[in-house]
Amino acid sequence: MAEEQKEAKPKKRTTATKAAASIGPLVKEFITGTLQAKAEGKQKVAYTFIVCHHEEIFRALDVVPVWTENFAGICGAKRDAERFLQRAESLGLSRSLCTYALCGIGFDQWREELGQMPPDAPWGGQVRPDFMISSGQILCDPRSKWYQASQQFMPDVPIYNIDLPYPLYQVNRDHREVLGYYHQYIVKQLRGLVAFLEEQTKKKMDYDRLRELVGLSDRTWNLIEETYDLRKAVPCPMGTGDAMNTMVPINFMMATQKAYDFFVDLKKELEEKIARGEGEVENEKYRLMWGGGLPAWYALNDFNYFNSKGASFPAETTYRMVAPLHEMDLPETKDPIEHLAWRWLGYWTFWYDRARKRPGSEPDVERLINRIEEYKIDGVVMHEAFSCRTWHVGLIWQLHQLSKIYKPIPVYVIGKDGKKEKGYRELPSLVLESDIIDITSYSEVDTRNKIDAFVETLESIRTSRAA
Amino acid sequence: MTLPDYFAGIDIGSTMTKAVILDKGVIASIIGPTGPEQRRLANRVMEEALKQAALSIQEINFIVATGYGRINVPFADKQFTEITCHGRGIVQLFPEARTIIDIGGQDVKGIKIDASGKIVDFVMNDKCAAGSGRFIEVIADTLGVSLDTVGDLSLQSSHPATISNICTIYAQQEVAASLAEGVPLSDLLAGVHQSLADRICRMVNRLRVEDSVIVTGGGAKNRGLINALSEQLGHKVLVPEDPLLTGALGAALMGKEIIEKARKSNAPIETKERILEEVEIL
Repeated sequence: MAEEQKEAKPKKRTTATKAAASIGPLVKEFITGTLQAKAEGKQKVAYTFIVCHHEEIFRALDVVPVWTENFAGICGAKRDAERFLQRAESLGLSRSLCTYALCGIGFDQWREELGQMPPDAPWGGQVRPDFMISSGQILCDPRSKWYQASQQFMPDVPIYNIDLPYPLYQVNRDHREVLGYYHQYIVKQLRGLVAFLEEQTKKKMDYDRLRELVGLSDRTWNLIEETYDLRKAVPCPMGTGDAMNTMVPINFMMATQKAYDFFVDLKKELEEKIARGEGEVENEKYRLMWGGGLPAWYALNDFNYFNSKGASFPAETTYRMVAPLHEMDLPETKDPIEHLAWRWLGYWTFWYDRARKRPGSEPDVERLINRIEEYKIDGVVMHEAFSCRTWHVGLIWQLHQLSKIYKPIPVYVIGKDGKKEKGYRELPSLVLESDIIDITSYSEVDTRNKIDAFVETLESIRTSRAA
Repeated sequence: MTLPDYFAGIDIGSTMTKAVILDKGVIASIIGPTGPEQRRLANRVMEEALKQAALSIQEINFIVATGYGRINVPFADKQFTEITCHGRGIVQLFPEARTIIDIGGQDVKGIKIDASGKIVDFVMNDKCAAGSGRFIEVIADTLGVSLDTVGDLSLQSSHPATISNICTIYAQQEVAASLAEGVPLSDLLAGVHQSLADRICRMVNRLRVEDSVIVTGGGAKNRGLINALSEQLGHKVLVPEDPLLTGALGAALMGKEIIEKARKSNAPIETKERILEEVEIL
């Protein structure tokens, strides 16, 4: 039976930092912790989504968040998602929907049907929640619909839907004109969430504790920025392969001392590596940026393959879900809920002003240009995960815009008169295609063939670069 | 007296294996089918090319392998991807080339070239045979016509049929059903070529197609497909005299450049032992 089949185990991936290597046990401990919390019954357990930027509210009310995208990612990384995807398909859900959601729904249906965890559930399985907090974000529809589908198998588990919009970018209009309205709306949404959680937990929000937790996250945001900035060093001490691990404290452990301490340790480790001149790869030849798209969790080994060709990844846009707070100019407030709302808006509008200054640019493109310059990037790699519309939409367009407005590489070309002329060309880019967790969409041979061709292009540019 | 230099390129594609030997120009070229025993076939194709050039393997200064089976050429001194080699080969033949479309047996590639003749960008279809030469092969087989004639037959159509399925297998069923309904063969083939061209265009349009557009690979020999492509791209499409050989040509040229560069900088040149022996299948 297909449900019994598991995909071949991937080759062991190597990381450049000890901190990244420590993430696996940390995630396992986290999953075990959710199971334990449920068994003990002292804390409420809630399904919810990452990049919500209000983890502090959960933690202040002792709610244990279960990041459902995280669990699907674990299934993918362990190459054990297929049986849950097939379950969801047998329920009539299309494989072209978000495969994180499909995996979660398939798992929930199976667990509810059995009345216990499915056999050999990865790391003990995903716990049955006490309630579910969906957080609709612009474009990512599974954030509203996923839990509604799961609720079919858990009709007694309530859903609270929180809406977190932000003003869309307009070239000729300052977003600050409407920022106040958005802020009021988000504050109301967050207060609604607090009320729901108070009702579910039978506890009253301790606003002093919430304020402390918000302060802790703010310090963690700044520390993450400082830590990741160290990757500007040549050679780069830590690449995106590692960052796909170190995203865990950013996205799943925010507002905890553990997350803060993790980045204290990572920062120290990177400083030591830089002092020793130790890079992610031994002889760094190319510096690449992961310019967008969620990774193929079952194929993180591909980062090692890039490394074997002398390519390091000093920067990425994916999962760096923080921005420097001191550059945001957030209004002062003593109310932690108001601060969370301002921080949310500050994060999503962070690149707007910069984009307006460069004709033809857009916030996402501006972010790419900023990282290219700050991290001395030679090429951009993106991943079109077919089932993730949120990320997928716009990636190619971003590359087109980037190549149109930004040509940083000096080259010699033969002009119409046959004479050698100096010109400028765009940064090379590579778009990988597969999925976040659906391994049937992935071919290692073809992916690596593309990587080989891309590296040959980088090498050709390196050798022909005009002095 | 200095001895002449010879360079060989061998391109092991999914369907065909090609070899080219160069001195100042092409002195030998061979095309043969790729079987499951690629390593042994690489030997044979190379032997044939050497025979044609009246050379021994020891006389070849540098050998570059490319294509999907490039790692299975034990006598190659270096390997490059088909993207790099097709790019290099086409730029040699068409210095004005800016967009290359390689229509192979089981995949399609689009390559963008800049004014300096360097590859800027590329796309590859690697998930599905729809859009590749295999698509036409399956349809030709279903319709009972030879592969060599499908292109010309399609050009006789005045009312191309609409083939809506993009999956090769479903398209095969659709074509068989339409044939049973009495749709003329030429209309069906024209529809098939338009469907194929549509798939290819959707992929290569990502590269922002610019003139001159060159089509290589086995698909370039199909006039019906070239017409449909030109129409859908909105660009004139050029085809090399020997479209199957551009990858092998590029590989040989890459070898020549490696040798020239090494000589210029007095760098050592590493080559493999020049032995062409039967190799047991992996």
